[in-house]
Amino acid sequence: MILRTYLLSITLFLAISLNASALVIGSDEEEILIDANFSGQDLMVFGAFYADPSQPRDEKGDLLIEVVGPSEDIILRKKKPFLGFWLNAYQVEFRDVPGFYYLSSTSKIDNKFLDKNSIGILKAKRSSEIDWSSLTINWGEINSESDKSEFYEALIRTKTSENLYKETQNEIELIDGNLFKTRIHIPNTVPVGKYDVNVYLIIDEKINKEYSYNFTVTRIGIEEAIYNLAFDFPLIYGLISLTIAVITGWSGAELFRRFRKK
Amino acid sequence: MSIYLPIAELSVNLFVLLSLGGAVGFLSGMFGLGGGFLMTPLLIFMGIPTNVAVATSANQIVASSISGTIGHWRQGLVDFKMGGVLLIGSVLGSILGIWIFQTLVSTGQIETVISILYFVLLFSIGTLMLIESSQVIRDRIRKKTVKKKIHYHNWAHKLPFKVRFYKSKLYISIIPPIIIGFFIGILSAVMGIGGSFILIPAMIYFLGMPTSKVIGTSLFQIIFITAIITLLHTTTTFAVDAILAFFLIISSVIGAQVGVLAANKLRGEEIRALLAVIVLVVAVKIALDLLVPPEELFNLSVLRVIF
Repeated sequence: MILRTYLLSITLFLAISLNASALVIGSDEEEILIDANFSGQDLMVFGAFYADPSQPRDEKGDLLIEVVGPSEDIILRKKKPFLGFWLNAYQVEFRDVPGFYYLSSTSKIDNKFLDKNSIGILKAKRSSEIDWSSLTINWGEINSESDKSEFYEALIRTKTSENLYKETQNEIELIDGNLFKTRIHIPNTVPVGKYDVNVYLIIDEKINKEYSYNFTVTRIGIEEAIYNLAFDFPLIYGLISLTIAVITGWSGAELFRRFRKK
Repeated sequence: MSIYLPIAELSVNLFVLLSLGGAVGFLSGMFGLGGGFLMTPLLIFMGIPTNVAVATSANQIVASSISGTIGHWRQGLVDFKMGGVLLIGSVLGSILGIWIFQTLVSTGQIETVISILYFVLLFSIGTLMLIESSQVIRDRIRKKTVKKKIHYHNWAHKLPFKVRFYKSKLYISIIPPIIIGFFIGILSAVMGIGGSFILIPAMIYFLGMPTSKVIGTSLFQIIFITAIITLLHTTTTFAVDAILAFFLIISSVIGAQVGVLAANKLRGEEIRALLAVIVLVVAVKIALDLLVPPEELFNLSVLRVIF
């Protein structure tokens, strides 16, 4: 972080002296740790940009901040009534979709721009028809184009309702026209893994400067120990779970028996 | 204060969790039930994934049934031989049950099937308890005493492979207990329950066991069947959450002991009627979730995270 701040000042200095555009960013976290008390966390991304150093205040440049979480394979199911009961009837498997996606901009960015630079949730083009070629999908029994886009929209909707996907505007705070700061909420349901943060400086609807870095979300302490044990040594994990149950059950009964005798 | 559950992969309010465990423990201590039939649906209402709720309940029942068995065992009210025979059937049943569970998870029907099973179960238990407790209350008002038969003779006494169960004073075929155990085993594995509320009447009416020995014997049997189911879940469905189980066990064991104390001081029938109402409310809530058109038709589940 100290190094980043240092780089930040050098780059800014160079940018101003060379009379060119510049973009530098920093962040308060390089690792988000999931421990027993984890209930989500805010990630701060800050930095500075110069779109036109000849002006004291920048009006030309727009900023776009993108956070892409680790990929995952998911199954999306649709319910259908059967004898009055709502049962899961259709299923579609989406492979390699981001487990977390966040996109924030200083002003409204149009879909054409996002499509051209393949930025946006699931990177599928949205200007007119959805372009499926960038996604790996097992459609199952789903054939028609309208059903497909219904599933696609439902995927984004459900992920959004779990606070895992978000597209937003005007959440980036600008200070003195050249400094920016924003808080990105990482909810408690995020997947573990590597997260990419991409910041774009956009001038005249073109990406002028780009800066990327990444951070990780990791389980630590007892959370990590339990998770690893459960998946790597399931039998031992099961036996430990049982031992805890036996000891607690037994000692609970013993303790209260003595207590009652008094 | 919230606590992160590593297997369920979400955080829950610790106070809510402990209250839930304590309340279910209290009811189970008071009525001598396992409490799994309330624990699993309430965990699901809290937002815990169905498979984690079922598997973790099994682990919790191990603790509560040990706690309960000790008391009955000290008074010599456990028929170990009958428990063992029941266990043969229930081990086989639980293996089939885990296979059914896995199939339901992979086809995406586990939530629906669990909901339907719980609705049927809770609705029947609630109705029966309500009828029974209201009859007792009515009889008490009329100052009537009910005569009960001690021993039933039926088809269970006519089958082959007869064995003598000294403790229960029975000489019956081992086929009926094995079949009963088999069905309880399936239900335990799929639903995350001990099954005592089905097992106890089955032991009394089908096997003709003396009522005094039934609760201890069924609890004894449940320790082992839920222990085996816990191991089957940890090794095949990976759905047992140790942190969730730990807090549920602590709170339910304490709750159960308090429930036993309270049972001695309070009048049973009114509270049993109240429990029946609670059970029916839970049943109706489950039914509504199944029958009312959902606001969101889609639901997603993560298969795997790619590193």
